[in-house]
Amino acid sequence: MKYLEVAIVDYGMGNIRSVTSAFQYLGIKTKLISDPEEISRSPVLVLPGVGSFKSGMKALKKSGANEAIVDAVANNGSKLLGICLGMQLMGSYSSEEGGSDGLGLLPNSVQGFQCRQEFEGKVPHVGFNAIYPDKRKGIFKDLPKSPEFYFTHSYYMEQGNLQGNYAICRYGFEFLSAYEIDNICGVQFHPEKSQVNGLILLKNFMEKS
Amino acid sequence: MLKKRVIFTLLYDNGMFVLSRNFRLQKVGDFQWLKNNYNFSKIALSIDELIILDVSRNDKKEANFLKHIGLLTEECFIPISAGGGVKTLECARELLHSGADKIVVNTLIAESPNIVSEIIAEFGSQSVVASVDFKFESESESESDYSVWTNNGSVRQDKNLSEWLSYLDLLGVGEIYLNSIDRDGVGQGYQLNFGVNFFDKISVPIILAGGAGKSQHFEEGLALDHIDAVATANLFNFVGSGLELSRLSLIKKGFKLPTWNYSHFSSLKDTFNIL
Repeated sequence: MKYLEVAIVDYGMGNIRSVTSAFQYLGIKTKLISDPEEISRSPVLVLPGVGSFKSGMKALKKSGANEAIVDAVANNGSKLLGICLGMQLMGSYSSEEGGSDGLGLLPNSVQGFQCRQEFEGKVPHVGFNAIYPDKRKGIFKDLPKSPEFYFTHSYYMEQGNLQGNYAICRYGFEFLSAYEIDNICGVQFHPEKSQVNGLILLKNFMEKS
Repeated sequence: MLKKRVIFTLLYDNGMFVLSRNFRLQKVGDFQWLKNNYNFSKIALSIDELIILDVSRNDKKEANFLKHIGLLTEECFIPISAGGGVKTLECARELLHSGADKIVVNTLIAESPNIVSEIIAEFGSQSVVASVDFKFESESESESDYSVWTNNGSVRQDKNLSEWLSYLDLLGVGEIYLNSIDRDGVGQGYQLNFGVNFFDKISVPIILAGGAGKSQHFEEGLALDHIDAVATANLFNFVGSGLELSRLSLIKKGFKLPTWNYSHFSSLKDTFNIL
């Protein structure tokens, strides 16, 4: 079984055009939504986003989309995919710009690469890098063993003690690059910018388990 | 570990795509032509990134350029950088909203570095690529041999290439696109003859452009430690399966490029429409 339509949350942060194009290439109908009522009612949601954590949360709160997303996921069983900043916003907290709370859909927090003293890589982390899924099923189905995806970010989500299906990425050290816990999925990279690997992951997300 | 990149650069001139040879432009065809004759979405499968530059010399029509970027996002699921004549923060914003991930600036760096800083402050350093057109000057002194030119290669800057790169690093751009005017479109290989320590002080990724004519030229560029990416704008030399074969050969030889299964691309198209 497949979902045939995806609702992309438009809250003024990021490259919605490319996300829309990638779903449409797969033959999936897309709609942009910002109204909290509509978010609560949508069975499949994508939370994209480029920019700072603080301004992202501010934008979500302004329209009430933050509560609507939590309501959809926790009470209505809606499927959610957070991309890049969208993934981070699903965490509990980020230290970016003095710190702010996230949606709290999972307990992990978000830190900056530059906060680590021993870190010697260039920041931001930009380019194609490999991820290492623990199981090749769910959103990682049909992908190579350590598929490459396109990243561009200065903050990362800590691994924590995740239950479920997840993948780490190595850039100086290991950080959480993707996860799938029941109906909640998040990816730090941009599947819409990651060639065939990205399209496969989006296809997997749209399949009912 | 981060992978290296092969980049294709499309040159756009008022609705047409063009070839450049030593900065003289030659029209080759429009978007439909590109789609029909060059199966662009297939070419895009063999690259890691796309750069599209508006090189229209007079009467630039911005709306039309933005439309073309939008069309390309429907065909290519890779990062797209766009630029050529970016003069304001608003212009940068429009490019990003049309589907670009990064902004390419060149003349703006010389004429209004403050606007470049504004773009960096607003969208982050990773969203700004500094394009640098340089010419070989003399062999005599080791690192001061190259001059820097802006305004489509017509205005010479006081700083030499080495000084210009340090200046860009300081300005906070995310990447540097280094294009040799002498070798532009010639197809005889990249300018590789930089001093040993030439890039030591530069902390951002360097993209080498100007001169690639065959796969071996990519190898020569990617083999250098300080080169993160190689670019080509040569539509004719890499058409058909040219880019695909180049890429496969590079991967086979151990160059660290990302990989994916090409054959899945066509089977994924409209896969959700088939019930």
